[in-house]
Amino acid sequence: MEDNLLNVDQLSVFFRTRTEPVRAVNGVSFSVAPGETVALVGESGCGKSVTALALTRLVAKPGYVAGGNIRFAGRDVLAMDPAQLRQMRGAEIAYIFQEPATSLNPVFRVGWQIAEALKLHRAGIAVRAEVISLLNRVGLPDPERRLNAYPHELSGGMQQRVMIAMALACRPRMLVADEPTTALDVTIQAQILDLLVRLQEELGMAILLITHNLGLVAGVARRVNVMYAGRIVERGPVEQILGQSAHPYTRGLMAAVPRLSGGKTRMIGIPGAVPNPARLPTGCPFHPRCPKAQALCRQEDPIETIITEDHRVRCHFWK
Amino acid sequence: MNHSITESLNRSISSSLWGDAWRQLCRDRIAVASFWIIVIYLAMALYGEGVFWYFHWQDMAPPYQQTNLREEYLAPSVFRHPFAMIPRVNPGAVSSPAIDYRGQPAARSVAARFRVGLRTLAHHPLGTDNLGRDVFERTVQGARIAFQVGIITSCIAIPIGVILGCLAGYFGGKTDDFIVWLYSTFSSIPGLLFILAIAMVVGKGLLGVYLGIGLTTWVNLCRLIRGEVMKHKTRPYVQAAHALGLGPFRIMFRHILPNVFHIVIITFSLRFPAAISTEVFMSFLGIGVQGEPSWGIMISNARLRLWQGVWWEMTFVTAAIFFIVLAFNLLGDALRDALDPRLRTSER
Repeated sequence: MEDNLLNVDQLSVFFRTRTEPVRAVNGVSFSVAPGETVALVGESGCGKSVTALALTRLVAKPGYVAGGNIRFAGRDVLAMDPAQLRQMRGAEIAYIFQEPATSLNPVFRVGWQIAEALKLHRAGIAVRAEVISLLNRVGLPDPERRLNAYPHELSGGMQQRVMIAMALACRPRMLVADEPTTALDVTIQAQILDLLVRLQEELGMAILLITHNLGLVAGVARRVNVMYAGRIVERGPVEQILGQSAHPYTRGLMAAVPRLSGGKTRMIGIPGAVPNPARLPTGCPFHPRCPKAQALCRQEDPIETIITEDHRVRCHFWK
Repeated sequence: MNHSITESLNRSISSSLWGDAWRQLCRDRIAVASFWIIVIYLAMALYGEGVFWYFHWQDMAPPYQQTNLREEYLAPSVFRHPFAMIPRVNPGAVSSPAIDYRGQPAARSVAARFRVGLRTLAHHPLGTDNLGRDVFERTVQGARIAFQVGIITSCIAIPIGVILGCLAGYFGGKTDDFIVWLYSTFSSIPGLLFILAIAMVVGKGLLGVYLGIGLTTWVNLCRLIRGEVMKHKTRPYVQAAHALGLGPFRIMFRHILPNVFHIVIITFSLRFPAAISTEVFMSFLGIGVQGEPSWGIMISNARLRLWQGVWWEMTFVTAAIFFIVLAFNLLGDALRDALDPRLRTSER
């Protein structure tokens, strides 16, 4: 497995509370190959953002990595000292966050912010020219004037393009896109996704796409991990996840994606809400919301079952 | 169509947080008036500085220190010569030229009479004190001391407050506990007592004033900055800066501090008059400025014959203090309105 760019093995992230720690991420394992797009799908609160932050140990207190192993490009991330971590952040693993409007510093011009990323990790280059070429690359019109703009003067789509330019500034080997399109409207969403796919082809970086929208995943990702309540409940190649989904939760997510085709089928949500990670139900954490739940589900947490070589599911009744 | 879009874009590009604040400030007439009052005082202070160093360099007694016992307790010139601008004609003499109020031959031309009148009014315009020293010159020198105190104590207090506030707010935990303990301790000592103690240690004089005021007034700023930094620490842009691989100090001082800097500016304009007042009080008590005419010294001096009707020194110095303090407070309020986004008027 060493040819993978990123290997996450049994990662657990807990949050310290007054009583016992809350298990936000509980034994998550996945991998990303160089240049590959992997999706992490789940509802809000299922631990996918925390997983993403944990990759470069960005989880803020009171959260902490409680166990597991993260290897990036053959190096053990959990054993790195702060200086090495800072070297890696931005330069090798870059992030794009959900809300571009608040992820940019409101008091600085966007050109300055991109330049800062450049100066930090790539000393001795022509900064201004590079900033303009980056903004060109992410498709921001009229970059020479826009780099003097403040974030609030740009539209949401343009802000997200600036965020992407910042993330690309240091030519990272992996881009973690944490709900990159959630705060944008639908037409801009498509543009931003297209942009990410195009940039990935040009630069050959891996993308970890985090989203709650399975529909988004179809055209972009090669492999999908579906997360629920801090663990991965189903994983596999995108065709199998979308075509022959085994876990009732995945099916629920699929049914919740709005469709243009298919006539008058109703959009169906999953009843209930994600359980509070501090008070997970016994047995399978999904059983209170599961249409297939039986007595066994209440008592016993299912282990990962292998359906095909790379399609796996955690459900007692996946058949 | 296309043209108007470009134009509105151009206009919006030029606007920023500070630009907006500046525009709002310029619309506020009181703020603009306060600003110009402060500029006038600043000019006075700079002039005073120039006078001080010129005479220091020439090794001469500066005009505000020149005593003249024949001219002690002179009233302001307008009261001494209320009709200085109106030349009198000697009614007895038919052919003799008109004489002025001093009994000397009066100038004939209107312009010359005007000049003489002005020169008369310019002689001790605000009167003299108990040693015949010019009150106007001394008030100007007082402005110089006041600005020195305001600026130097700010240079001591603001860095302390900002740095400790940032550290406490950003790192939290033990650092925060220590800094909170430190400023709680400082603020639990009565301010004046603390200033007196410092003045006793470093001796009377301006150094004691600077240190005394500078080391006691950072607490409020520190509290405010700490709270704001705590708030900003959880903002996504800070997380984004982390994700970019920036170190804690760069995030603290390059990314968070500019976002809370309006607090520093507001605090500066509000603590400036407080520092001036404290200096006045210290000098009044005799532990402040020594040998230089500060406003506090002048007030203390003016007490002596106030009950005999020597009102001018007290009045003009008090007025000088009143207007500078008022101007700074009004400007500080206007700055807070302009820079604090929550208080911003919605008309924009």
